[in-house]
Amino acid sequence: MNPITPIINGLKITLSHLFKKPVTLQYPDERPNVAQRYRGLHALNVSHNKAKCVACYLCPTVCPAKCITVEAGEDANHDKYAEKYEIDMLRCIFCGYCVEACPVDAIRMTGQFELANFSREDFVFTKERLLEKK
Amino acid sequence: MVNLTIDNRQVTAPKTATIYEAAEMNGIKIPILCHDKKLKPFGACRMCLVEVEQMKGRQIPACTTPVTEGMIIHTATPDIIKARKMVLELLLLNHPIDCPVCDKGGDCDLQNLTYDYQVNGNRFTDEKFHHQIDYNNPLIERDMNRCILCGKCARICDEIVSFGALTFIDRGIETKIGCEFDGALNCEFCGSCVSVCPVGSLLARPFKFKARFWSLTKQKTVCGYCGTGCNLTLGVKDNKVLTTIYDQEQGFHKGQLCVRGRFGYQFINSEKRLTKPMLRKNGTLVAVGWDEALDFVVGKLKGGNVAALSTARLTNEEFVLFKKVMELSGSKDFDHSAGYAHSALTEGFARSFGTTASPATIPDIQKSNFLLVIKSDAYETHPVAGFEINMAVKNKGVVLNILSDKHGKLGKLPGAKTLLHVPGSEIALVNALSKVILDGKKAAGIASSVVGYSQLEQSLSDCSVEAVAATCGVSVNDIIELANDYSAAEKALIVFPVGLAYPGHNAELASAIANLAILAGKIGSEGSGVLCMSEKNNSQGAVDMGFYPSQDGKNAQQILDGCASGTVKTLFIAGENPVVSYPDRTKTAAALDKVDCLIVSELFLSETAAMADVVLPACSFAEKEGTFTAADRRVQHIKPAIRKIGLSRSDFEIFGVLISRLGGEVPVSSATVFSEIASNTSGYAGMSYAALGESGAFAPVDIKPAFVDVKAPGQTRQAGKLALLTGSSLYHCGTMSQYGEGPMHVCPEGYLEISRKDAANNKISENDLLTVTSASGSVQLKARITPRMSEGVVFTPYHFSSASVNQAWNGTEVTWVTLNK
Ligand code: SF4
Ligand code: SF4
Ligand code: SF4
Ligand code: SF4
Ligand code: SF4
Repeated sequence: MNPITPIINGLKITLSHLFKKPVTLQYPDERPNVAQRYRGLHALNVSHNKAKCVACYLCPTVCPAKCITVEAGEDANHDKYAEKYEIDMLRCIFCGYCVEACPVDAIRMTGQFELANFSREDFVFTKERLLEKK
Repeated sequence: MVNLTIDNRQVTAPKTATIYEAAEMNGIKIPILCHDKKLKPFGACRMCLVEVEQMKGRQIPACTTPVTEGMIIHTATPDIIKARKMVLELLLLNHPIDCPVCDKGGDCDLQNLTYDYQVNGNRFTDEKFHHQIDYNNPLIERDMNRCILCGKCARICDEIVSFGALTFIDRGIETKIGCEFDGALNCEFCGSCVSVCPVGSLLARPFKFKARFWSLTKQKTVCGYCGTGCNLTLGVKDNKVLTTIYDQEQGFHKGQLCVRGRFGYQFINSEKRLTKPMLRKNGTLVAVGWDEALDFVVGKLKGGNVAALSTARLTNEEFVLFKKVMELSGSKDFDHSAGYAHSALTEGFARSFGTTASPATIPDIQKSNFLLVIKSDAYETHPVAGFEINMAVKNKGVVLNILSDKHGKLGKLPGAKTLLHVPGSEIALVNALSKVILDGKKAAGIASSVVGYSQLEQSLSDCSVEAVAATCGVSVNDIIELANDYSAAEKALIVFPVGLAYPGHNAELASAIANLAILAGKIGSEGSGVLCMSEKNNSQGAVDMGFYPSQDGKNAQQILDGCASGTVKTLFIAGENPVVSYPDRTKTAAALDKVDCLIVSELFLSETAAMADVVLPACSFAEKEGTFTAADRRVQHIKPAIRKIGLSRSDFEIFGVLISRLGGEVPVSSATVFSEIASNTSGYAGMSYAALGESGAFAPVDIKPAFVDVKAPGQTRQAGKLALLTGSSLYHCGTMSQYGEGPMHVCPEGYLEISRKDAANNKISENDLLTVTSASGSVQLKARITPRMSEGVVFTPYHFSSASVNQAWNGTEVTWVTLNK
């Protein structure tokens, strides 16, 4: 093959892109369209005004990054609830296993991907911060 | 042995085995829900169905069908699997299936089988149960909605614990497990029912929602309470002991525990544990570093006039090091357990058997034909050994006789006979038994050749059974009958507990008992002998390691006298709390107050530690390695389950540092100290941590029997006064169980047991606060009216700091007291 041909072919592709819509976004002015099944920050689902989580410990068990801390407590009706529910986002690998493991659909992953922060402590999401915002 | 074929494998099994047992012995697993090794077959769950060719392919339960020669069995045909699936569907039909919030999840037989058999749906529909859940009990939560009616709880409570708290109540579909009249559970709280329940209907409440089964680290160890030496498994998470775990393969007792062992573990991670060394400065204890504390201790030890008292809960290795510390301090004055609690062994058995250990073991209980329990109820002092007695009597028809000054739980066993005697007359009674045997020419042939036979004969010659009967309050016939039954039994075992607050369980009684056993020839063979059950988890070890004074050393009482008189300048107390547990509180506290320097190594700031000049935070059994020797000389290896709490150090480390500072040879590790023990302690030869393994090993006991002339003490009865007996409550052991939540839930405070007659005479009603006054002092205790005391006799357990009984009790066999409201 003529050694010039591949170069020409390459330049053709480059040239064609000049006339296409760019893939990059002018973030943060432009916002991405987050897919429904995107695995971003977790949210704890709420029903009857309280977290659905029953503190069964299946998510901390399955979590490959061991970043979920659950501590169960007993409420006034002697039912089990999560007294403490924390995810250390610095260690989370967003695999979604926790969502899959949950037997009561108490945790889901949202489209929120902007998780940068200033101090390490701020990456530990407590139950308060994880509760779904209505 | 019979030959049979299971799943095309030729196997053999004993004639008495069921199909289930035969399969299990040969490693073939049959699913089952209602079976436990220790219980009799029941056949409730229908999971163990198998097919036997000879029975025309019918499905029969493996757990209730005995094996026969030539049986051809199939355990997993498609038909059987189908049937098992249906059984599971039916079990799950009314079952709540709330596994996410059920603490049994992960350890649940029903859950596991449902998973194994892939039961994903249910062909049937029905309403779920709506039984009320018992949340009120502090130790056992009962949720009968989850119950599969396997009956294990009711059976274990009846067959082994012999309490019978639980039973099937109501009928048909409404059947459930409950207490009498469907009331609250008010039992011994041994937790046996919880341990065998295959589902989450019975759960340990102290562990509720604490952790999932699979996240626990399971560490096998040995119970740190009494001398039975039960094996147990601690469930640990995040350096906290959260629960005890049942393992039906563990120990001679197959995982059975009592309330202290099962529910009394909280002291390990108690908030009250000492975490820093403390030194008294300007009158108050202030936290200091280890160096400063140990410098101070070394200075005092070098100063001379040192003595030591120890708890019987240290490991064998620690006792050896403690002795070395004392040696390097130039002192021979060291002792444990107030000096008399071990005298039955160190003096009594030493002269009667030529050894300081019992010539019988706990497994002998079930191999015997005749049991004689003397004085304290062995069930109350050593509950799991008590289970052995229950099983011996109920399953094997062993004859049980009890010689005691009060009724106890063992006396309620079928056929058990209790001879109640006047407190303080037990030695006279035991001598009378020997006398009957001698007079009846029933003595064993070899008895006459035993050293001291003629002296015994002579000394018993003036013993009149009639006179003894009259003073002891036992009829002549009963004495003669008991003596004859004892000597006629093929194998007979005498069980006799000793302990800190069991006055009268002393060297004299031990020798009198030994005389009886030697005379009747009930010694030296399987199922026969004398079993002296020492109180604490390592009481026998303390004796074996020689942690008691030799001839020229001071015993505990002399040490305390020395403190009071100033001849002892420095007293090192490891783990003991004499202020509460030694006789005569006033005298003991005054002595400790007087001594120049008091060094205490402790887990908690006990009453004694609070008086100390320096307090060293020590470690519990769950944080250290070493060996414990149980009452029957079973040597068992313990390994740490958690890291040390705070800055605490094990006594092994503390003594190690002291030895090096005092110029001795520093011990390398507890294993090397144990090999030293193995080389120089009789019976321990050949032992090592590796050889002990998980099940431990018995240190053999060699006996050289000799008769010892024991004179019964005179009666001390004081007119118009009641005889106060002290001892152990079923729920506690020593003073340490006060820091265990389980024991404190069931039995939170001291009490005084009093007969109905005395209560009526003194117009006392239940729970009245009584002032018990003796010659040495008084204590306030709540009255508990019970049928088990006889008139003129009252009993109180000694474990509690809040109402410490030693204010009134001064160590004599019987304390004579008056009661005031
Ligand atoms: S997404 Fe994965 S890594 Fe993150 S918390 Fe869930 S299970 Fe753990
Ligand atoms: S008993 Fe077993 S099957 Fe039933 S809810 Fe509890 S864990 Fe699940
Ligand atoms: S805890 Fe013990 S005594 Fe109480 S019901 Fe259970 S098995 Fe029986
Ligand atoms: S409570 Fe547990 S042990 Fe008792 S019958 Fe029900 S399932 Fe069996
Ligand atoms: S206290 Fe004694 S009987 Fe109870 S579990 Fe512990 S060793 Fe066994």
